Amino acid sequence: MPASLDLCDIRKSFGSTEIIKGVSLTIAPGEFIVFVGPSGCGKSTLLRMIAGLEDITSGQLRFDDVVVNDWDPARRRIGMVFQSYALYPHMSVEQNIGFGLKLAKKSKAEIMVRVDQALSVLQLTPLRHHKPSQLSGGQRQRVAIGRAIVRNPNVFLFDEPLSNLDAALRGQMRMEIGKLHQHLKNTVIYVTHDQVEAMTLADRIVVFEGGVIRQVGTPVELYDHPANRFVAGFIGTPTMGFLSGRVAATAQGEGVALDAAGGQAITLPGDLRRVAHGAALTLGLRPEHCVVCPPDQTMLSGTVVMLERLGAETFAFIDLPATPAPVAVRLDGGERSLVAGQRTGLRFDIERAHIFDADGNSISSSAS
Amino acid sequence: MRPSQHSSLPLRLALYALMVLLAVVFMFPFLFMLVSSLKSNDAIFADVSSWRALLPVGPLTGANYANAFLRGNIGHYLANSVLITVVSVGLGLVVNSLAAFALARLEWRGKQVALTLLVILLVVPFEAISVPLMLLVAKLPGIGFGGDGVHVVRSWLDTLYVQVLPFVANAFSIYLFHQFFRDIPKDFDDAAYVDGATPLQVYIHIIVPSSRPVFATVTILQALTMWNQYLWPLIAVPGEGARPLMVGMQQFFAARQTAWGEVMAYATLSTVPVLIAFVVFQRWFVRSVIGSGVKG
Amino acid sequence: MNARRSRRFQPLLFGAPAMVGLALFVVLPFLMALVLTFTDQQLISPEPGVFVGLRNYERLLSIRALVQAPERNDVAGTPSFARVRSLTRHEPAYLGYRPLGELRFGEHRVTLLAKDPAFLTALGNTFLFALMVVPLQCTMALGLALLVNAGVKGQTIFRAIYFSPVVMSMVIVSVVWAFLFDKDLGLLNQALGTLSFGLVKPVDWLGNPATAMPAIVIMSAWQGAGFQMLILLAGLQGISQELYDAARIDGASMWQRFWYITLPGMRQTIIFVLIVTTIAALGLFTQVDVMTGGGPRGSTATVMFEAVRHGVREENIAYGATISVVYFLLITAFILLHQILLRRSAKVIS
Repeated sequence: MPASLDLCDIRKSFGSTEIIKGVSLTIAPGEFIVFVGPSGCGKSTLLRMIAGLEDITSGQLRFDDVVVNDWDPARRRIGMVFQSYALYPHMSVEQNIGFGLKLAKKSKAEIMVRVDQALSVLQLTPLRHHKPSQLSGGQRQRVAIGRAIVRNPNVFLFDEPLSNLDAALRGQMRMEIGKLHQHLKNTVIYVTHDQVEAMTLADRIVVFEGGVIRQVGTPVELYDHPANRFVAGFIGTPTMGFLSGRVAATAQGEGVALDAAGGQAITLPGDLRRVAHGAALTLGLRPEHCVVCPPDQTMLSGTVVMLERLGAETFAFIDLPATPAPVAVRLDGGERSLVAGQRTGLRFDIERAHIFDADGNSISSSAS
Repeated sequence: MRPSQHSSLPLRLALYALMVLLAVVFMFPFLFMLVSSLKSNDAIFADVSSWRALLPVGPLTGANYANAFLRGNIGHYLANSVLITVVSVGLGLVVNSLAAFALARLEWRGKQVALTLLVILLVVPFEAISVPLMLLVAKLPGIGFGGDGVHVVRSWLDTLYVQVLPFVANAFSIYLFHQFFRDIPKDFDDAAYVDGATPLQVYIHIIVPSSRPVFATVTILQALTMWNQYLWPLIAVPGEGARPLMVGMQQFFAARQTAWGEVMAYATLSTVPVLIAFVVFQRWFVRSVIGSGVKG
Repeated sequence: MNARRSRRFQPLLFGAPAMVGLALFVVLPFLMALVLTFTDQQLISPEPGVFVGLRNYERLLSIRALVQAPERNDVAGTPSFARVRSLTRHEPAYLGYRPLGELRFGEHRVTLLAKDPAFLTALGNTFLFALMVVPLQCTMALGLALLVNAGVKGQTIFRAIYFSPVVMSMVIVSVVWAFLFDKDLGLLNQALGTLSFGLVKPVDWLGNPATAMPAIVIMSAWQGAGFQMLILLAGLQGISQELYDAARIDGASMWQRFWYITLPGMRQTIIFVLIVTTIAALGLFTQVDVMTGGGPRGSTATVMFEAVRHGVREENIAYGATISVVYFLLITAFILLHQILLRRSAKVIS
């Protein structure tokens, strides 16, 4: 039975350092939730707390409305897949998968049936007598998943499961995990630092930074409506470009004086009355909302520092004055002649720009 | 298995109690030695049935230490042991690391055979060759340094160098060095050879500076072995002049068995140098033994 | 100068001092030992030893049983036997044999006779010592390693304390413990007496053939366990924490985690420790030499002790060398046996 999870102001401290600083989240039965964030943001610690491998310093963790803070991991009926797979090295594939059932004192016959089932779901039947050391990375990964599903868990926990695989295999396993979830319909919590994994697998993504949730939403919501600069910069490749400036009045109304344009102002759509004149602002630009043009046709001009040719699409990275990182632009067919070192102009669709205040919070009223 | 942050308070307290109890078991012979060395025989006997045996209480005396020097000649033996340990460890580091360098970093015909021989030598315990080795050194002509100047002597027995030379080349040390050198990236050597270095320069400028841990390990293990030598000097050094500390200890113990305080003072003096070194280098020491233990 | 030629000779140059040292002080004595065992070489004797064939080995290893039926029953009905010594003196078949031990089979008395009963006793003592000290020391070491690894504060200090006896010389340790074992004034008897409210009578630990070897076993385990602890600790820390996490999720109790994760994960390390400890135990010498001198009544004499006694103190180099060679064969046999067992168990597993 897929369980619902309720995290209520969960906190974790090691000594005097607080790692998880109050996390509240509700997860529906059968939902595929992905925790993302840079390393050290606390996402793995939170997962281990949900598993029962780490104590919860304060707050409540509920599985189907039952508080499980003090429950043993085994009692929580979870399945977990570890980064290093953590397969028992001296046990065969089927012993690895059946170990939990054996400890739960299930009958031999029942263990056989359930292990067989897991083996066949994961296409591991021919490898049942192999030792982990005789398996490839992808096969080990599947055994680790088999060990988790055989117990018929309420919640499935994945701790960066694909980070030890090479790129091709990672894509394949990503797909298999997705299919498995459609098939089993368990509740899944999946930790990763790879935002591509997050975007492809998740029903909802939870973005962490420094032990707090920065935003929760569907992949599309996070991409289109990042709540803050952190989420905006974290989701999407190439990264969103950022232009700094100050709030200023223009002929058409409220606008922003861009540092990159030597202080020239550009009118902003929407309502900016909440922001004082002179306050710092940041514009966030997705690469697909920018175009290059001859330098004399725009107020923003800079140098092409690098071209990233991915085959289907090409991105140009343009260094602008007074801008910390180059801004990425997706090129359409026309500008293929661009070369690195060339001077170029940059225009963007102001209607689709994201606007962040001095604290990094989004104030785009209708950025879509 | 690791209780760590999951264990309850009572469990952790029980663990502590057990660890402290064991610490007492492991420490009390030291304490007894140290404390008794400061007491007169009468005081030792009087204290032996109470906790006072492990505490420096009552009238304390330095007489035992004075007697260890006067009657036990410990100053002379200490000097012998220091000399033997320092020279053999110093020579051993050079000789064994050079051999390991040739085995691990240079290509030459017969290398595999040499490595196999080395592993076989590892298994030969010193005890098994000590008796014939004595016959050998008894017949080797050597050099004596007497009051009458330098002269040739008919045998190595009863000299300081008979306690040094047989232990300079050491199969286990070579093996430890080899294991460590083998894991240094070969690119370092190649880069140096491209720059025109000779093998000796590679050894001095590349291998030695990047191998401090294994040099430390070999120094520590070899120094301990040399300092604590007993069987070999017992066999090869019957006389007084070149006698090392541990044989001196045994003789003193055999001769003055009832003079507990003096024997304990002697034991303390023999242990303190090592113990100080151990306390100073403890962390490092333990780590290097862990490392060598796994590989060895 | 030809660089390539110097490249070819340099390895030999680098290795030369070590090779000379090992050849002169390890290989040569070992070969000498092999040759000496077939001679009657003495240490001081001016003339070289004479070839005596296998006589040394024969003296060392000869053993036979003498079965005697009771000669006559006296009034009380207790059987009596002819004196063994009178037999070995006069019967040519038993010439040179001395009694090693005796057994009873019903009415019959079986006396084991050996040409060198002291050596065979020492051989038995050595095995007995290894059999007692290896399990004790390794179990202690494993326990200490687990304790030190339990993650409580101050573990580095405890680790150093448990390890500290290892850096002490065995001679010093033996001397200190000789006092602790003293019958009347030793702390051990005092402690036993106090803890049992005087019920335990003072034991003459080193003076009683029954307790002398166990006393040496206890002391040796105390001195050496710290070293094995460190090696086992390295093995423990080599086990991934995620395996323990996975086992907890699979519902394993603390004991089950020890049984299914720790022990299998430490298999190699434990085997290594067992071998090293056994080899060291078979070389037992210093403790015996300092504490008991092989006594009381030969109960603590060991193979190495006999080798030194004959080879050095009695200056019978040839016989001492024979004991050394037998000792070396013993170690080799042990290592080979272990290799065979290892290979067989590896087969069973895979």
